[in-house]
Amino acid sequence: MNELLLLLLAGGLGPVLLAEALLARHEVLVYTAGWRATATELPEGMPHALGAAADRPPDAYLVYLDGIGKRRFRDSRDGGRLVRALIDGAPELRVLGQVLPYSPLADPLADRPVWAWLRRHVGLLLFLHNVMQIFVAADRRYRPVYNRAVGGQIATQLRLAGYRPGSDIPVVLLGYSGGAQVATGAVDELHTRLCAPLLLITLGGFHNGANDLTHARHLHELTSAYDRIERVGTWIFPPRWRLLWRSEWNRARRAGKVTVHRLDPATHVGPRSYISPDAMLPDGRSHLDRTADTVIALIRAHGSEGTAAP
Amino acid sequence: MSPAVVVLLLVAGLSEAIGRMLPLIARRSGASRTGVAGLLMAGAVVEGTVFALWPLTAWALAALVLPAPQPGVDAPAWTPGLVAPLILAAVLAFPLLGPLLHLLLMVGVGAGLAGPLAAATGLGWWAAAGCLAVAGVGLALAVEAVRRLVGTIGATGAAEPQP
Repeated sequence: MNELLLLLLAGGLGPVLLAEALLARHEVLVYTAGWRATATELPEGMPHALGAAADRPPDAYLVYLDGIGKRRFRDSRDGGRLVRALIDGAPELRVLGQVLPYSPLADPLADRPVWAWLRRHVGLLLFLHNVMQIFVAADRRYRPVYNRAVGGQIATQLRLAGYRPGSDIPVVLLGYSGGAQVATGAVDELHTRLCAPLLLITLGGFHNGANDLTHARHLHELTSAYDRIERVGTWIFPPRWRLLWRSEWNRARRAGKVTVHRLDPATHVGPRSYISPDAMLPDGRSHLDRTADTVIALIRAHGSEGTAAP
Repeated sequence: MSPAVVVLLLVAGLSEAIGRMLPLIARRSGASRTGVAGLLMAGAVVEGTVFALWPLTAWALAALVLPAPQPGVDAPAWTPGLVAPLILAAVLAFPLLGPLLHLLLMVGVGAGLAGPLAAATGLGWWAAAGCLAVAGVGLALAVEAVRRLVGTIGATGAAEPQP
């Protein structure tokens, strides 16, 4: 029985993982070599931003970077709930949810013919693909290009949504789970292209702590003692260890740029997740409401700090 | 060396070349598909040759440390079973875990070669494994030096102003 299991693992899972890893990284190569340009078109009828009207500047632009369930321009079910709650709670924001954090070419996984077939037959592979993309984004060999690609994608979508470089309107990157890796990686590119004041908010952030946060004004880490997936990230990525005090993450912490907010007892995923509309708190709010309230409060506090600054 | 081993060594060389080159291509823009394919083919031949030389180099090293010469003893040769795992050498390009997985693969293949080398030379298994390790590191350093030299020459050539 054990031999059969080993054979299945070696003969089945091994090649699948290897093929998947090579496929995941292939997109970065295509982008770097310039064989294909990053897509900028959205599906017909899809707006470049939701929330505050385009006829006057919003208080801030909020870019939502979804977790590994993201495979099309439209939000995933959970991400969509959060985006809706943020728009309802803060109509002064322009919210962008179309950025594809796991595709440097902004090519939705769901629209690729082979992946459409896989989605119907082996849906788990779609998640595996996006997990691999996080690993690509975290690998020091591929990270600079990956960051440039997705940072460029975010900058382009912000411009199309009406953002004017140098306008000094804050840009907030809200990264859920693996979206945090992309959010921290996009800082330099966004600073270069837009000169925007950047605020980062991670929700159960899974990231390697190796990205330079010098050009980010602040990073708010929304976490929970019950979030095992986020904790795995703090274990497996050495730059997140306190021991490596010269890592970019530890530099940012020492500079006072990282603030932790506890959202106990929320979990990373599942019926008690940060984004669950069903899990209730003693104060009568759902986990989703509390998360949205917290994000909005942080953005508004950041905005008023910016206004108060000389 | 049987045709099957030669083919496997070439495929292993191609796999190694893919694993080494793709991270480099991922950092450099402007590579044409034809250029990349050509470099991969050249890399496959070089890496396959290095793999072919590994047991021979280890055998030559073993001959140096033997207390007395062993007349009429042939160097251990690759067999399809021994070389087959090297087809996974592209695992080097695997995100995040690639270098570790590649090291484990090389250690595993080296351990497989140690038995035939020990039998051919009369050395103990550990001494044979030591010879293989030294030979492997030596070959890796040599080919890395060539790689860097080619990279430097390529970069210098690219930086020269066009007439």
